[in-house]
Amino acid sequence: MSGKPSRWLTGFTVLTYVFLFAPIVVLIVFSFNDSRRSFTWQGFTLQWYEKLLANTEMIDALRVTLVVAVAAVVGATILGSLLGLGLARLRFRGSGGVQTLLLLPIMTPEIIMGISLLVFFSQLFGLNGSIGQIALAHITFCISYVAITVRARAASLDPRLEEAARDLGASAVGAFRHVTLPLLAPGIAAGAMLAFALSFDDLVVTSFNTGVGSTTLPVQIYSGIRFGVTPQINAISTIIVAVVSIALLLAWRLGAFRTAARAVVADPEAA
Amino acid sequence: MTAAATPADVESARGASRESAGTRSAAAATSVLVLPGVAWLGVFFLVPLAIMAVVSVGAVDSAGHITLANPSLRNYSHALDPEFIPALLRSIYYAAATTLLSLAIGYPVAYWISRYGGRHKVALLILVMLPFWTSYLIRTYAWVMILRDNGVLNSVLLDSGVIDEPIPILNTDVSVILGMTYGFLPYAILPLFVSIDRLDYSMVQAARDLYASGRGAFIHVTLPLTMPGLVAAGLLTFIPALGDFVTPSVLGGAQTTTIAKLVQTIFTAGRDWPYGSALGFLLMGVTIVGTLVALRSLRREVMGASA
Amino acid sequence: MTERDLPGMSFNEALDQKLAQAKWSRREFLGRVAAFGAAAALTQLLIACGQGGASPTAVPATTGPSPQGTTTAEATATPAPTPVPTPEKELFVYNWDAYIGEDTVAKFQDKYGIKVTYDNFVDESSQIGKIQSDGKGGGYDIHYPASTWVQSFITDGLIQKIDHSLIPNLKNLNAAWQSPDYDPGNAYSVPNFWWTTGYAWDPRDISGNLTSWAELWDPSRKNKMSMLDDLRECFAAGAFRLGLSPNTTDLAELDKILQLLEQQKPLLRFYTATDQITDMVNEVVEMAHCWSGDWVQMTYDKPRLKYVIPSEGSIRGNDVMVISSGAPHPIAAHLWIDFNLDGDVSAASTNYIGYMGPNDAALPKIDDYIKNDPRLNPPKEVLAELIELAYLKPDDLAHYTDRWNALQA
Repeated sequence: MSGKPSRWLTGFTVLTYVFLFAPIVVLIVFSFNDSRRSFTWQGFTLQWYEKLLANTEMIDALRVTLVVAVAAVVGATILGSLLGLGLARLRFRGSGGVQTLLLLPIMTPEIIMGISLLVFFSQLFGLNGSIGQIALAHITFCISYVAITVRARAASLDPRLEEAARDLGASAVGAFRHVTLPLLAPGIAAGAMLAFALSFDDLVVTSFNTGVGSTTLPVQIYSGIRFGVTPQINAISTIIVAVVSIALLLAWRLGAFRTAARAVVADPEAA
Repeated sequence: MTAAATPADVESARGASRESAGTRSAAAATSVLVLPGVAWLGVFFLVPLAIMAVVSVGAVDSAGHITLANPSLRNYSHALDPEFIPALLRSIYYAAATTLLSLAIGYPVAYWISRYGGRHKVALLILVMLPFWTSYLIRTYAWVMILRDNGVLNSVLLDSGVIDEPIPILNTDVSVILGMTYGFLPYAILPLFVSIDRLDYSMVQAARDLYASGRGAFIHVTLPLTMPGLVAAGLLTFIPALGDFVTPSVLGGAQTTTIAKLVQTIFTAGRDWPYGSALGFLLMGVTIVGTLVALRSLRREVMGASA
Repeated sequence: MTERDLPGMSFNEALDQKLAQAKWSRREFLGRVAAFGAAAALTQLLIACGQGGASPTAVPATTGPSPQGTTTAEATATPAPTPVPTPEKELFVYNWDAYIGEDTVAKFQDKYGIKVTYDNFVDESSQIGKIQSDGKGGGYDIHYPASTWVQSFITDGLIQKIDHSLIPNLKNLNAAWQSPDYDPGNAYSVPNFWWTTGYAWDPRDISGNLTSWAELWDPSRKNKMSMLDDLRECFAAGAFRLGLSPNTTDLAELDKILQLLEQQKPLLRFYTATDQITDMVNEVVEMAHCWSGDWVQMTYDKPRLKYVIPSEGSIRGNDVMVISSGAPHPIAAHLWIDFNLDGDVSAASTNYIGYMGPNDAALPKIDDYIKNDPRLNPPKEVLAELIELAYLKPDDLAHYTDRWNALQA
């Protein structure tokens, strides 16, 4: 499986990670900067963290954002994975149409999607925006990303594997569970991660579907951007990065990844 | 695409005797796998979109309300105005550059993670996504701090003597493409990874022996085998990049307006939903035709390459 | 569509039949079409069709402009003789971020024991979209639209008449604001704060006392200037330079303004409606087209920055507090308006955000640097010369939008 990577390739990968984390380092540093909107270092302070903890609007927005993101990930991952697998495996009438349908949400200008859902929910159902409405909207635009990612994985799989399992006496469900699903898992996980990031960051579609008490973090941030990105936002992002990193490290130490890696990445073909 | 080819293999492998049973179970599988997602998109995407399609043939009356009194294609002919062409070409340029850069950066990284990540693969992938679980806007503003005239990058370059005076990067094409590449890179890396990770390296090894060069093996074996991932990554980068207007507005300048920004303006400042919808639908039409044509020619090429 | 039903027109007949089943009059249907858009109404009609004449649960019972005259159903439901009705326990407010005193919400909650949900929106289009979405305020009690929206909101039945008996602090309003043109007698709205438009500059880079709009066209400042990403404000700046009205609808005049803006575009670093404060403070640009309150915010970080209302004339505007026609908590909403008109409360807001309001009782408590600054608190004669951006008819606005898009593209 391994072998030795070329120095060039490893260096390139390391540089890419540096590129990905450069702005994160900047925002962590500036979460301790003693100035409300200066781009230059003005001294160390913890005041933004103190203000953040007292800022119920911001904490509420984070809570709403996380609830929506989890709902979007669960909904979109289930629907999108099934769709991706179906498109890769089955030949059915209208599959071309379904493929095109999958591309449409990505192509729709965000403001059209946002306004269309606003009109849809308010005029057809008399709804005024809520956490649930935002979650429904997010599931809708996340499905395509999951489906396309899972499909790419499924398309590179050999369907004869499942056939072989069935020929060996496995039930259809059993063959799917023990052969296909583990092979698809990386695609599903990747799709879920994309869905989380998409939902967590969405501004335009969300801004038309918020209701009383359901402001998300991006909406909260953007509404105050005229006054500069308050370092409270840097602080909240630093906390998120820290929490995820610590969880990651703990899982690593506890060996969760070894198990996960075996379950997710291990190759049943080789086993 | 490959999707069309694989079921044929299934059918042939099954043999004629099991064909009818296969067809029946295929129908059942279709309804389980495909129907829920299609139904969801039908209700929460197509129906709302259809409403906007109706709006797009309407007009705004003198009181500011949308009226369908005289439905017409007037908004569409209005939207064909050549004044949009510079912004459209600029958007295509940004999206194409972003996609090429994302694939060029994403492919080696995804390959490295898959090939050498070992048991850390999952952690390495989560690390790719971690920056994206902070807010998009502040990441983009962090780039403003890095790229501005007296920002981090220019300071480093000045101090190290590479340049004598700050180079203006912010609010140019360069900063827009850089910011967009940053924003869309994970959408390239993840699909590439899931596809590359399925590669059978013994095949690559055999190809190396056959072509006697790493490059030949890559072009003739690795690349065609990972094409589904490249296509997925390309789609998930190019199409959203074409519609991005937040990055160009934060990192761009007076000369970097994209077509998506103009659609936004028509809806908001212009308060003209019918006209905005019409322009939006025209853009979607152009995008979808372009995408389908690109996919078809790509499929022909891949088939040719792998045959 | 006409009101006449010809025998041959089966579609109209079917339509009327469905409407009857759906318990709508044709008039209501048309009103509804008007209120939000025919497409939406048509889809609702489809729902009604699908239900085969059953009473359409999806249709909100209170559509149309019914609740305007009275305070609301809840208010009238309270026994009539009670002088002050009991307020509800909650209040939903929709406003710009940081556009109110730092602890106004907390103080209001303490005083009345009413829990306030204070939500912020992203921009004016999502604010207005929310008010219009259900034809009665989108679930919020209080909105803060620009005054130019008031007439159209009244016509569409989106906001309700304000019960002046519940707002004794209306007496604090300056005499000049007791009956503004956009809403005579403040029947439906109460003025909140006002602003002017001008530009800020950094005297470290630019010497002298600037007064003219022409400074924003100075080629020596190429790449060091920004304009507001706001088509009306940019056209207004051009109009003032040419001595035209910022509300002009004359196509030849608009073309002239466009020409002027096209000359300016290559000199600009960017158009922005969000970064003008940050970029002046961080010396990204040395001159920025901005609103008066933006400049106050800038001076908190860089006191040397200057601001001018250009001598050729400029824009002033104000926003208002309104109560949705479908406000779930109308009494609490009146209390909120009254509370914000209190001299101390209003002054605290002004001192925090830098915008002045027409509140005489607040004047003694407003910081000197704001109230003594003629740019933030312009003397009557200056204020009188400033012009409000008029609400443009859609056709006229379209002429602006087309030219703006041509400029931007």
